Amino acid sequence: MDEKKNVVQEVMDGLTNWARVNSPWVLHFNSGSCNGCDIEILATLTPRYDLERLGVRLEASPRHADVLLCTGAVTRQARERLIRIYEQMHEPKFVVAIGSCALSGGVFRGCYNVMNGIEEVIPVDAYIPGCPPRPEAIIDGVVKLLNSLSPANHQITVADRNDKPSTEKAVEE
Amino acid sequence: MSTLSALFAISIFPGGLFLLSSGLLYEWGNRKLLALLQNRVGPRWFQPLADTIKLLAKEEVIPTGTNKFLFIGLPMVALAGGLTAALYVPLAGLAPSASFDGDLIMVFYLLSLLTLCMGLAGTNTVSRFSLIGATRTLTQVFSYEAPFLLALLGVAAAAGSWQISNITAYSGQHWLILTQPLGFLVALIGLMGKLEMPPFDAPEAHTEIVAGALTEYSGRGLAFFHLGKAIELVIGLTLIAAFFLGGLSNPLWFLIKTLALLFIMVVLQALLARLRIDQTVGLWWRYGVLLVLVQWLLMVLL
Repeated sequence: MDEKKNVVQEVMDGLTNWARVNSPWVLHFNSGSCNGCDIEILATLTPRYDLERLGVRLEASPRHADVLLCTGAVTRQARERLIRIYEQMHEPKFVVAIGSCALSGGVFRGCYNVMNGIEEVIPVDAYIPGCPPRPEAIIDGVVKLLNSLSPANHQITVADRNDKPSTEKAVEE
Repeated sequence: MSTLSALFAISIFPGGLFLLSSGLLYEWGNRKLLALLQNRVGPRWFQPLADTIKLLAKEEVIPTGTNKFLFIGLPMVALAGGLTAALYVPLAGLAPSASFDGDLIMVFYLLSLLTLCMGLAGTNTVSRFSLIGATRTLTQVFSYEAPFLLALLGVAAAAGSWQISNITAYSGQHWLILTQPLGFLVALIGLMGKLEMPPFDAPEAHTEIVAGALTEYSGRGLAFFHLGKAIELVIGLTLIAAFFLGGLSNPLWFLIKTLALLFIMVVLQALLARLRIDQTVGLWWRYGVLLVLVQWLLMVLL
């Protein structure tokens, strides 16, 4: 009886995982970037690269989105907005940091008014370097993130996610 | 035995499983054809299914300031309305599984239920985007509903019956698109307004009001609303095909007819830019109603 239940559970998990990998709806947020990366994200979503064939849809509401595409070094003013948008998203949610600034602060690293990258504020699941990254690089990063979801190649585990700085900590700082 | 056949009708064909899967496939057809017209590759065939399963498995958060009961109940009522309406329409060109005198009016109301539920769901939340979206949704209901109703009632008047099975029996002998071309046009475009497809997508304009009335919805509620819309697409296409394009017929021929209708709708979607909400109202009340009234006048005169 117990074993049968596990089989059902496994099938259900497999199904939801398959659905998640095949239907990532993305939300785009600029946390103080120079717009270079944002233009590349928009270029990625155009018919030339046609991300709808991978199931990607640009959503305007954080409630609908699964993946937060985030650019910029996070200015102190954008920090609270970024946290609020992250918290408005529903689980399971993933964050992709796009561009050098989003990874480490880039040329703005050490400035008095930036947080030196997205991972200082919210947990990040995938990093896409470049200044700005090409659309192909963005697609590659998102695909790698989605592939890491399937149990066969588990690169991001739940424990990993919990190790990263949580939003509550960031608010307290 | 009758209980068994009723259960079959509700859960497998024409309600339930068949309806949901055909709804998802028609939605895919809509998106794929649109993508091809826009010179894109388009989504894979299982895309709407993956979207639905993903949404069903997503966390559900009830925002503060909303009525919990309404927030959870409205999507269910919307979906139930669509599923119930399917029992009275000739899906796949076969005779409807239930029928009574005046069921045409009931199907109209069940189909409007989805839009009304979306409007209510939008006003139920405190987000300003949902409020604007809900206002626009309800405004649009009052603009397209009357011409759409009048156009389909023209068919009912020609057949002399309010019962869908009688109307399809009549339209099986006469291709009503030839005698009522204006009514056909208004009904088809009215269906686009009902489904909030591109020229009439002001209520959920992604580029201005986030996602309209459904901004605060996620998870199960959003999945139910999406499914309801997919079902409404199937039911609407079925009704128009059965009324104007030669009544009941074998499923393959009927599929070709509905796909042809879908193709016309996709071309219009790709061709036209979004109308402002006041332009939508103006279009329906200035031209839509007028066209239908001319149609009625011709019917009376000829």
